[in-house]
Amino acid sequence: MRFDLPDAYWKKDVALFFSRRFSLIIKMLYPIAIIVPVAASGMPAKYAAAVIGIVAIMAGTFGAGESLTIDLNDGILVRVALTPLSPYRIVFEVLAVNAVLDLVQLLPALLIVYLLHPVSIVWMLAATLAVFATLVTANCIGIFIANFTSSPADVLLYATAILFPLIYLSGFFRNQHPTGILKALRGFVPFAYTDDAMKTVFGLATTTTPLEILIYPTVICAVLAFAVCLTAPHLLSQRS
Amino acid sequence: MRLTTVLRGGRYNSPVMRSGTQNTPPALEARKISRLYESSGRGVSDVSLRVAPGEVFGLMGPNGSGKSTLLRVLSTAIAPDSGSFHVGGVDGLKERRKVRARTGLMVDSPTHYDALTGRANAYFFARAYGMEKDKAKGVLAELFDYFDLTEYADDRVKTYSYGMGKKLALIEAMAHGPEVLLLDEPSLGLDYTSQLAYQNKVRELAGAGAAVLLASNQVDEVEALCGRAAFLHRGRVVAEGTPEELISSVEGVRRIVATLRNPVEYGPVAEVGGVRRVVPEGRDLVFHCEERPGIVADVVAGVVRAGGDIVNLSVRRPNLEDVFVKLTGEALRDEV
Repeated sequence: MRFDLPDAYWKKDVALFFSRRFSLIIKMLYPIAIIVPVAASGMPAKYAAAVIGIVAIMAGTFGAGESLTIDLNDGILVRVALTPLSPYRIVFEVLAVNAVLDLVQLLPALLIVYLLHPVSIVWMLAATLAVFATLVTANCIGIFIANFTSSPADVLLYATAILFPLIYLSGFFRNQHPTGILKALRGFVPFAYTDDAMKTVFGLATTTTPLEILIYPTVICAVLAFAVCLTAPHLLSQRS
Repeated sequence: MRLTTVLRGGRYNSPVMRSGTQNTPPALEARKISRLYESSGRGVSDVSLRVAPGEVFGLMGPNGSGKSTLLRVLSTAIAPDSGSFHVGGVDGLKERRKVRARTGLMVDSPTHYDALTGRANAYFFARAYGMEKDKAKGVLAELFDYFDLTEYADDRVKTYSYGMGKKLALIEAMAHGPEVLLLDEPSLGLDYTSQLAYQNKVRELAGAGAAVLLASNQVDEVEALCGRAAFLHRGRVVAEGTPEELISSVEGVRRIVATLRNPVEYGPVAEVGGVRRVVPEGRDLVFHCEERPGIVADVVAGVVRAGGDIVNLSVRRPNLEDVFVKLTGEALRDEV
């Protein structure tokens, strides 16, 4: 498979990802630089898990949101949208490739975490899938935001407004033992499953099972991905 | 005079359309397209045009006259407020992806993925337009060679000059062999050799049956390439016809071009009897004048009185720019 001559939108994104060498080094190193010291320290499990969750959320949201708004500003995205490619497919590829590339960035750090805090293979898979679900969700949010602005700076602002309540609901820092409506809402936020999985990896038992982590975030992400793809005609339209 | 001036909306009434291509189904047909921007109130109103297969149709008008807006509508980038258009019989409002597949597009400010090579950009677009891998590679190799870009094909686009970027955009627009080619100011920024190459390629594509809609204010380019042309003024088609017909409508007009050593305040010269308009073009002052005895001497005297040092002077036949001035009282290109 050749990426130097991309024949699909996702291959173009992969080619761009690997073409900017300095940027690539930074992207690959910063998750390690943040996560590994946390994992190697004696930090309480709930905070160590929160750090990984936050890194995943930020990487995902700003990854897709910023690259999309930059492409919108350049006009190149609108130009691509004027080819016969399906706009829904373009947005799906933006989402999928950004989430996968974000996971590629985080995977080395995650593997080091698993080395430092060995757990069963099932929990490793569950935790990795939960992180991927967080990345998909965060990318969905980034794409959703790009519908309303073509400024990368605005992405940061809007993302903060959207992410803070979700982070609160997920129980990264507060709302650790939710009840009632907060508990119900927490179940719909994929970030919460990352939090539970990583807490388990760091040795803090939760009531969430690996099966729940495999099923619920997957379903929620599928719904979110479907919904965000429906915004394609607006997202890829010429902004006047 | 057979030129038909259209004061309210466009009509399919040029002699060419009545005789030569009327029986040919149009490759591109726009009917009463209107699209106004809420923010500025500008756009296009009631624009109709037909471009037959193999025809190169010029669209002229000053900045803000609606050329780019019309091309945006016809490229399906924006929807019109009203009206309709068809490409090869396919409804441009209902079947946008089919229309996009049949259309080649070069926007006025082309952009690319700067971190990718020129070849990668062109290949990506060729494949997006549905070309087979091998065919895409072959056609692109030919086009890169044709536009003298082969040497730079594997360089990143961010190293390209503006003109090279325009040539790459032309390649992207032409590679898939579109039925309709929409070109917005394609020759701006191209060097002389590249302009000739691009014009020859447009003729070649038209010869092979492509319909070309060329939005340009380069008078020489439109006169050289286009079988017919239309003038847009404040969003409306004000005249349409072959370049010869349009130009023949301004018999009795002379175009005096004075090259000056130094810039001058030319306002007083515009007051000389018979001078309709003065337009600065670089170091030149272009006078659109009535043809009367002594007009050249009067203009020269006016320039000298204004402090101008004339280093070259020519009296030329009228061109499409003079037609536009006559029709609208405004210059085709921005006054500096």
